[in-house]
Amino acid sequence: MKEFFQDFKDEFILNFVDGNMWKWLVDGLKNTLIITFFSLIIGVVIGIIVASIRSTFDKNREVYRRRGGFFYYFQWCINALANVYLTVIRGTPVVVQLLISYFIIFSSSRNGIGIAIFAFGLNSGAYVAEIFRGGIMAIDHGQFEAGRSLGFNYFQTMMYIIIPQVIKAVLPTLCNEFIVLLKETSVAGYVGIMDLTKAGELIRGRTFSAFMPLIAVALIYLVVVVVLTQLVKILERRLRKNER
Amino acid sequence: MRDNSAIIQTIGLKKYYNGESIKAIDNVDLSISRGEVVVIIGPSGSGKSTYLRSLNLLELPTDGSIIFNGVDIADKNVDINVHRQKMGMVFQHFNLFPHMTVLGNMTLAPMKLLGKTREEAEAKAMELLRRVGLENRADAYPSQLSGGQKQRIAIVRALCMEPDVMLFDEPTSALDPEMVGEVLELMKQLADEGMTMVVVTHEMGFAREVADRVIFMCDGKIAEEGTPEEIFTAPQNPRTKQFLDSIL
Repeated sequence: MKEFFQDFKDEFILNFVDGNMWKWLVDGLKNTLIITFFSLIIGVVIGIIVASIRSTFDKNREVYRRRGGFFYYFQWCINALANVYLTVIRGTPVVVQLLISYFIIFSSSRNGIGIAIFAFGLNSGAYVAEIFRGGIMAIDHGQFEAGRSLGFNYFQTMMYIIIPQVIKAVLPTLCNEFIVLLKETSVAGYVGIMDLTKAGELIRGRTFSAFMPLIAVALIYLVVVVVLTQLVKILERRLRKNER
Repeated sequence: MRDNSAIIQTIGLKKYYNGESIKAIDNVDLSISRGEVVVIIGPSGSGKSTYLRSLNLLELPTDGSIIFNGVDIADKNVDINVHRQKMGMVFQHFNLFPHMTVLGNMTLAPMKLLGKTREEAEAKAMELLRRVGLENRADAYPSQLSGGQKQRIAIVRALCMEPDVMLFDEPTSALDPEMVGEVLELMKQLADEGMTMVVVTHEMGFAREVADRVIFMCDGKIAEEGTPEEIFTAPQNPRTKQFLDSIL
């Protein structure tokens, strides 16, 4: 038993204390959180825009067609573009998208974190868009009609009546997307970004001891996810309170 | 053709689906004057709800005119949102906004669309709530209300915009029987105060008592119209007779 603890302690010192390598993990976690957070913000912005375009077109197709002319074709084109975006992003692996961003689109830049935020944000936007669109479509059509019959235009109805209800409805799914994204960013090491996973890998490469750094990385991810999940639960409870 | 005394008038209104194969509204001419209470009855599928909903363009007519306050709102160049502010609508399923309190439901549109301050909007809302005896529910959420209360709130929500005409789309059809009375009572009060009302309903008692004119619709057309007396005691059209026999 004593030997076990002694071994454990030695391993710990070797992997984290010597050369202050624990700092790598801290830096890695910081980068992981930065990439995840800003990617999700970009994702939510893109997602709301794309979802609005698609559901606006679906709901107002009849009105637009009746009005005809340039306006209808403009809407049709925008909607088609949104569909292409969704198909391409959801049809290719995120690692490939990241590599394309890094080595082709921004080949002259070496700001890895910025590029990762771009790539993961663009990727997450497609999934968030479908989450939001599902939320918009799930709202009872009578809510639209009630808003419109009071004299609100389409966008006011969306802003004051539909979107607040959609956000409440999709919040759990959206937070789930954040958690998925947090774990997905672990491939950022492919383009040389020192995220949490990469930090663990670097330590392993230095010490030739796999157990400690990798288990530590796993535990850190787990703790962050569990904490986030709890926060979501509290938020959900808050939101639901005013419906009773 | 234009009836200048009418507050709302439809001329040759048509709503077709699938080209011309389904005629939900088939060439309906009707003019409703200020202060008049018009009740539309008819079998299901007769187009009465579609007709009512096309009056504020929730259904887009295929052809025809809808003259409201002298403007043809079916014209595609007209900003319908401005005119909808003056047409209150009450739905079968209430359609209150579940994420807002009763007061929030009632003050949203006056504040955002009429530019009223919160104080003005809330004062007006509270006055209306007192009238319907629900002032103690101002801070409740719709899910905390009974069906009858929800529908009365939906009616006063529409009244907060001070509309020129109120449209009712089967307002009591989704209610438990014991709650129908309170809603009809409020509608009757409104009628007595001179509100112009168009009501689609199956409540024949209400039609008989409150309506100035009863319209019987069938297959998208007006089959018969007249005073409640004429329609209920001496219907001329055999379809009207048949319909009344089947429900009374």
